[in-house]
Amino acid sequence: MTTIADPSLRQKLSAALAETRLRLLNISRYPGQLAMEIIIPIIFAAMPMLLGRATAGADAAANFEANTGTTNYVAFLLIGASTFTIVTSAFWHIAYWLRFEQETGTLEAVYLTPTGSTTLASGVALYSAVRGVTSSLLAYLIGCVVFQVNPFDGQVLLAFLFVLFGLVPLYGVALLFGAVVLRVKESNALIGLMQWVVAFLMGIFYPIAVLPPLVQTIAKAFPPTWMLNGVRSALLGVGYFFETWYLDMAVLWAFMLFAPLFGFWAFHRVENGIRRNQGMGEF
Amino acid sequence: MAAQTIQAKLLTGAPAWISSLLAMSRKELTIMVRYPVEFVASFGQIFLIVIVLTLAGLMFSPNGVQSGGSRQTSGIVVYGFIVFMFLSDTLWTIGYNVRREQKQGTLEQLYLSPASKSASLVSRVTVTLVWTGLLSVASAALMSVMLGRLPFHNLPLGAFVLVMALSGTFGVGFAFAALTLRIKEAGQTMANLIQFAFMMLCAPFFPFSALPEWIQNISRLIPMSYAVDSFRSTLMGYPEGFPELASIEVEVVIVAAFGLLMPVLGLWLYRREENRARRTGSLSEY
Repeated sequence: MTTIADPSLRQKLSAALAETRLRLLNISRYPGQLAMEIIIPIIFAAMPMLLGRATAGADAAANFEANTGTTNYVAFLLIGASTFTIVTSAFWHIAYWLRFEQETGTLEAVYLTPTGSTTLASGVALYSAVRGVTSSLLAYLIGCVVFQVNPFDGQVLLAFLFVLFGLVPLYGVALLFGAVVLRVKESNALIGLMQWVVAFLMGIFYPIAVLPPLVQTIAKAFPPTWMLNGVRSALLGVGYFFETWYLDMAVLWAFMLFAPLFGFWAFHRVENGIRRNQGMGEF
Repeated sequence: MAAQTIQAKLLTGAPAWISSLLAMSRKELTIMVRYPVEFVASFGQIFLIVIVLTLAGLMFSPNGVQSGGSRQTSGIVVYGFIVFMFLSDTLWTIGYNVRREQKQGTLEQLYLSPASKSASLVSRVTVTLVWTGLLSVASAALMSVMLGRLPFHNLPLGAFVLVMALSGTFGVGFAFAALTLRIKEAGQTMANLIQFAFMMLCAPFFPFSALPEWIQNISRLIPMSYAVDSFRSTLMGYPEGFPELASIEVEVVIVAAFGLLMPVLGLWLYRREENRARRTGSLSEY
């Protein structure tokens, strides 16, 4: 009887990077899609910006400051829309990866290889993070140029650290969502809804202080809310949840330890249940 | 011979067209109800979009969420959003469905049947439009609760403008379906691009006065801009400065001409592209 040894860490890393490379190669064939990912957040941020300018006129910046803590509404809205791009990318890419493999009939075949789903999910997450962060960074920079504000105001490095440390718990949550898609199967509808739930909770165009207290508590249990507020506070000085940057960062670190473990646990649980019952290939 | 004539009559004319449309719409409805999560999700999604945009707009009000916003601002956002929802449905759904048939490998078979091609195209969006109508009413009600009562005037003229705008976008939808047959997968990216261009140039979420003058000049070249402007201005009771692009009489004439001529042009383009695809054998290619 032939037995297959468990892959070593090096082999796992190689498989994850191969998955990342495969996906990057695939998306490089669709430059139009990539360009749209940069344009969308700018247009999305422009909507409230133009509405605000038209309705508040010369008082737009002053009114905005009274409600949010900064007069720089252009950067505030662009940061919201760009961070939203990173978050939706995570949800779309993880959920759509599973659904796409399921629809094309390759998910079951993938599960027959000695590579574990954790390794492959990590590869997809890396690809998604590279794509999402690059698009949103470019969207923010181009948006700032278009609307004539300085993109490098404030503590840029600290803002980048908030994005970087926010990515790990974000993909933990995305994996949790992937488990739901694996179970319910209707990925498009669920992602469509989820991305707006996320937009609402993280406060893409407003501070979460305007939400009712219960909703604020739910929002704070969600890592992207801390990531977005951290970036805004670092760049625009709108105020950290715990007054200082390192306490907010500590919360992100706590999420960083907990969210991926919980995500993988939930994913494996659903995955094992499906494998025992109808099988992964059914959709 | 007589039997053949009767059979031919059954396959042509208005009754045959309506019968095909109903049968095909029923099929679309059957597919839709098989995905209940999608139903619930689309409803929740619309509500969340409205809330997010409303809260964003309120950040520019002197007292933020406490101010509740002005009735005019609510009118601009809600009525613009309604036109946007209807137009996006009509615009993409037809092309998207043609593409889906192509991917599933059923488009060629469908074209071998004697059923009307225009009924086939219209049926793709009929059920969706009813659903969008319900969503529009619900989102308008939600906005009224959040921001106070919406301005609501001249309903018959508003309805006429909306119907004409929809008819026009059916034509654009046919033309887009023709484009999808030609450019295939790139159609989806193109659809996104057109949607976002529409969001900026036709100003469904903000007044045209917010746009720089040179962009307003581009907006004036797009009939759908007049549809958005005349629809919301009419329902808001023509407050000062509205309609923004031209007088209401001129705007209604433009929208009516768009609604009457565009479907004919769109269908002609689709037939042309379809014939080309059949000749070259690319109908089922994707």
